[in-house]
Amino acid sequence: MEHPVILSALFGIPEEYKHVFYTWCAMAVLFATGFILRGKMKLVPTGLQNVMEVLIGGLEDFTVATVGENGRKIFPLLCGIFLFILAQNLLGLLPFCDAPTANINTNAAMALFVFAYYNYVGLRSWGPRYIKHFMGPMPVLAPLMLPIEVVSHCARPLSLTLRLFGNIRGEEIVLLLFFSMAPLVSTLPSYFLFLLAKCLQAFIFYMLTMIYLQGAMEHAH
Amino acid sequence: MRLAEIFSITDKRFLDDLSRAGTIGLHMVSGIAAGTAIGYALDYWLESFPWCTGVFMLLGIVSGFRNVYVDTKKLVANQQKETVERK
Repeated sequence: MEHPVILSALFGIPEEYKHVFYTWCAMAVLFATGFILRGKMKLVPTGLQNVMEVLIGGLEDFTVATVGENGRKIFPLLCGIFLFILAQNLLGLLPFCDAPTANINTNAAMALFVFAYYNYVGLRSWGPRYIKHFMGPMPVLAPLMLPIEVVSHCARPLSLTLRLFGNIRGEEIVLLLFFSMAPLVSTLPSYFLFLLAKCLQAFIFYMLTMIYLQGAMEHAH
Repeated sequence: MRLAEIFSITDKRFLDDLSRAGTIGLHMVSGIAAGTAIGYALDYWLESFPWCTGVFMLLGIVSGFRNVYVDTKKLVANQQKETVERK
């Protein structure tokens, strides 16, 4: 079931690349917000600056409270991921737009990046001793734990991808079905529910990235 | 349900628990799926069909349970921390 009226068709974007177009839309929204705010930063924030400061400040507090002081180093990436996914998810609720995260390719790209990045952080902070993270608590069990841990690490990008994709795609389909059955009466209440669910999915992606990075940075058990 | 309770969803520890609990189910499945996929890829490469798939599927099942175990341990630790703070 496809979107009836859609922005990307007006720009002549083929159906199979429309998630790339909407990813650029989300980036444009974020960049525009950044440029608008950069020009008129105030000591006492008002309006949009206030919203963004509460959002980013709250996230930073949360990251530092969970990860510790190391969290400040990885915070730009985490905050970027959260805002980017939030913008992408919320695009799905706008008329004429579609959520790029409803396509599995967008999510797989982000999840694989997170996978590569937390392993890089682990290798950078521990060097060859990073392998201890894969050995489990007891040296005797290490040969058994090594393949299990490797498989469970490979499962991480998979679960990141599928969770975001399944949730957002499901919401888009439900919205379309509701809209075809009873426009407005059924879609308006579900907008509020999906607004919450989409924010929550962005938060979960951020949260899991943070947990993985924390696991790579802290001491192996 | 009071309005304040609905807005307590922004409570940080609640969000932490919520996202952990929401991920447990898929962590188990994705462990199994990743294990099977790795085994199948190895079999495709080595042309030894049932062996690697079987072994890695078992490893995937074990790692799926391990994921759930680790997540649950963290959740329980969070809960205990909360009860200690309340007292």
